Amino acid sequence: MMNEEANKIKELAECIYDLDAEVYSQLGSSIGRVYTRDREHCVNEIERLLVTRSESKVIRSELALISNMARTIPDKQERKLVMTEYNRIIQAVSDLPDSFSSGDVINLEQARLNRFHLRNRFSDDDHMIICISWAYGSGGADIGFRLADRLKINFYDKEILEAVLKRLDAQKDLELIQASAKANPNDTARSHPEVLNLSEALRTDMPVTLRQRMREFSRYHGLPKQDAIFFNQSDLLCEMAKQEDFVIMGRCAKTVMTNNRIPHISIFISAPMEQRVRRIMEINSRLSVRQAQRMIRKADEEHRRYINFYTGGEWGHANNYDLCINSASYGIEGTVDFILGMIGDWKKKKQR
Amino acid sequence: MNLLFLCVPFVGMLLCIAILPLIRGEWWENHRLHAVIFWSLLFAVPYGLLNGPAVSLETVLECLVNDYLTFIILLFGLFCVAGNITMSGDLAGSPRVNVGLLALGTLLSSWIGTTGASMLMVRPVLKMNSWRKRKRHIIVFFIFLVSNIGGCLTPIGDPPLLMGFMRGVPFFWSLHLAPVLLVNMVVLLFIFYQIDRRAYRRDIASGLHPDISKPGTEVKLRGAHNLIFLVMIVAAVILSGTLPSLPMFQDAEGNVLGLHIFGEVTLSWPAVLEIVIILLAAFLSFRTTDAGIRRENHFTWGAIEEVAVLFIGIFITMQPALMLLKACGASLGLTRPSEMFWATGMLSSFLDNTPTYLVFLTTAGSLGFADGMMTALGTIPLKVLMAISCGAVFMGANTYIGNAPNFMVKSIADENGVRMPSFFGYLLWSLCILVPVFALDTLIFFL
Repeated sequence: MMNEEANKIKELAECIYDLDAEVYSQLGSSIGRVYTRDREHCVNEIERLLVTRSESKVIRSELALISNMARTIPDKQERKLVMTEYNRIIQAVSDLPDSFSSGDVINLEQARLNRFHLRNRFSDDDHMIICISWAYGSGGADIGFRLADRLKINFYDKEILEAVLKRLDAQKDLELIQASAKANPNDTARSHPEVLNLSEALRTDMPVTLRQRMREFSRYHGLPKQDAIFFNQSDLLCEMAKQEDFVIMGRCAKTVMTNNRIPHISIFISAPMEQRVRRIMEINSRLSVRQAQRMIRKADEEHRRYINFYTGGEWGHANNYDLCINSASYGIEGTVDFILGMIGDWKKKKQR
Repeated sequence: MNLLFLCVPFVGMLLCIAILPLIRGEWWENHRLHAVIFWSLLFAVPYGLLNGPAVSLETVLECLVNDYLTFIILLFGLFCVAGNITMSGDLAGSPRVNVGLLALGTLLSSWIGTTGASMLMVRPVLKMNSWRKRKRHIIVFFIFLVSNIGGCLTPIGDPPLLMGFMRGVPFFWSLHLAPVLLVNMVVLLFIFYQIDRRAYRRDIASGLHPDISKPGTEVKLRGAHNLIFLVMIVAAVILSGTLPSLPMFQDAEGNVLGLHIFGEVTLSWPAVLEIVIILLAAFLSFRTTDAGIRRENHFTWGAIEEVAVLFIGIFITMQPALMLLKACGASLGLTRPSEMFWATGMLSSFLDNTPTYLVFLTTAGSLGFADGMMTALGTIPLKVLMAISCGAVFMGANTYIGNAPNFMVKSIADENGVRMPSFFGYLLWSLCILVPVFALDTLIFFL
């Protein structure tokens, strides 16, 4: 795609976003707003839809929704201005050429987020985020941990993330109580049924009574607890990605980063069943072969379900990752070396 | 034969509503009224030529004054009052919250009417789901359950049942329909949950998620005093159904007294009273509610305007179809509950369900059954009465024009960021989901 065309599409995407924002500001109601996320993300998404001409009907539908809202602007003059802009955009969209394809197999959107490709497009401000998915028993957790250690960056897995989240929640609760107590000295934690104290927040096995269910319902805004945790984890990951380099194990981090257009590397680590069974039995000598196999299958199934639920993707499918490694071919240290070799002189370059 | 020929404008009107928004959307928006006038004249003029201009004028005025006027005033009143109530908060639209909202709306429908419940619930549902992209199915199921099926438990729920009440069916008899409602609710909410869960997962997968950064959920109801005006409107509807049977509103021959308009067209005093109460409620609602609430609700006149214009045409052009039904209803040979259920339902999907209900109730009353419910129209077996009531109330959900709130909800959703299915698209939804559920109803309750 020529640079000029790319600029034109970017400009058009911005105009579409601005039109929606303008309609929203004129109406003052957020019920019907089409683009509800941050500007940069929405503009990128519109741009992608404009480039992928097969999905142009989505843009058409979204423009139609904006125009539906625009037509209800009470001020005639303002409505006319907005509709004139809408007509200009519609014209510009229909004037776009049918295809921008250059024949390369590359998925531009994915490649833009990937350090292995198009390295020069990255600024040095970007952080190194390595998202690792792994098959149970393939040594993925050890590989991730040693990789983080060798790179001297942070390492996060499910347990660490949950603990961080719970601490943040407890902190928020504390602030809420303090703010409330400031406004009303008689107010106590009892007045906030959604608020948990720190020790309660850090408990994992909470008993389930009706009162607690109600409290949970309120606390998580009516969402199932696991969904709310996933959303909070996603937000936390995005926030952390702005501040530090890290290795993150699982948690659909690859999809979260992709959806939020954060550069990252996604790696899937697997190994043949025999090796995985052997490793599990080495770690837990009391297990029989059959028990180890059952444990692996169960863990794989849980991973598959989790990934499929929150990303719609297929767990372990090579198309979904930048790099798939059979850890049985290299061993744990060998796999870490392999990945470090690919990342190359990133750390040194960064230090410079 | 003539009546059949005169049904052409009704078919034309329906086709315009179904096709023109798809192929010439902007033109249709500007010329809806012209289309309505065209099809109305295409019925009124030939009808006038066949039966005389006075009869034609009387027919048109009769449907406008006695059917359309009260219909649109009720819709207008509920639209105004519900538009002045807003629920703000950070409850997030998830499958289980949506199932809860739909269940609440369905149960509410029988007590404040399908239109009242629809107007009251549609904005909170839209608001809670504003973070989502795939949400049209939520509104489709909202129309199925809240705008139609939920109204079967009391005569306040849906106008056909009010007509039944006026003709001797006891007020609380409709509670016998609770098992049918329950089966429909359970099946439809189960299907809805599966569809919504799928859509919800796809929304999450594409990176959308609600703002849940605050530690707790706050749900605030503003303009709650408008619930009084809502009750006022419901009371007006009940009065309009009960007052005509009182002697003080009847002349010596038992005709309901009213304001003479033309020929035999009279706007009855109970209807006048209903209109006055509803307009008063709407006026008071506007006077006592902060304009900020309407702004927050994205309150505009667009939806009610669209419904008001289109339904003039629908009410006028469907007259020959209703006359045909009245003339041939008894000779159709329908006696079994299942036949009554489907016949009443299929016709209620496209025609006004109140006269359709009355035609089949009259037919059933004249069949000379010995056992059953004693009504002013004769004895009707309970199963037949259940079938006619369910057919008229439930199958209004089959099309956008089957029941008053359907189109209203569609218009409000269209204006608020939901791309609703077209007329045929919606028909496809109802064919795939509602028709099998109604077939199940037939097997369980009406065989």
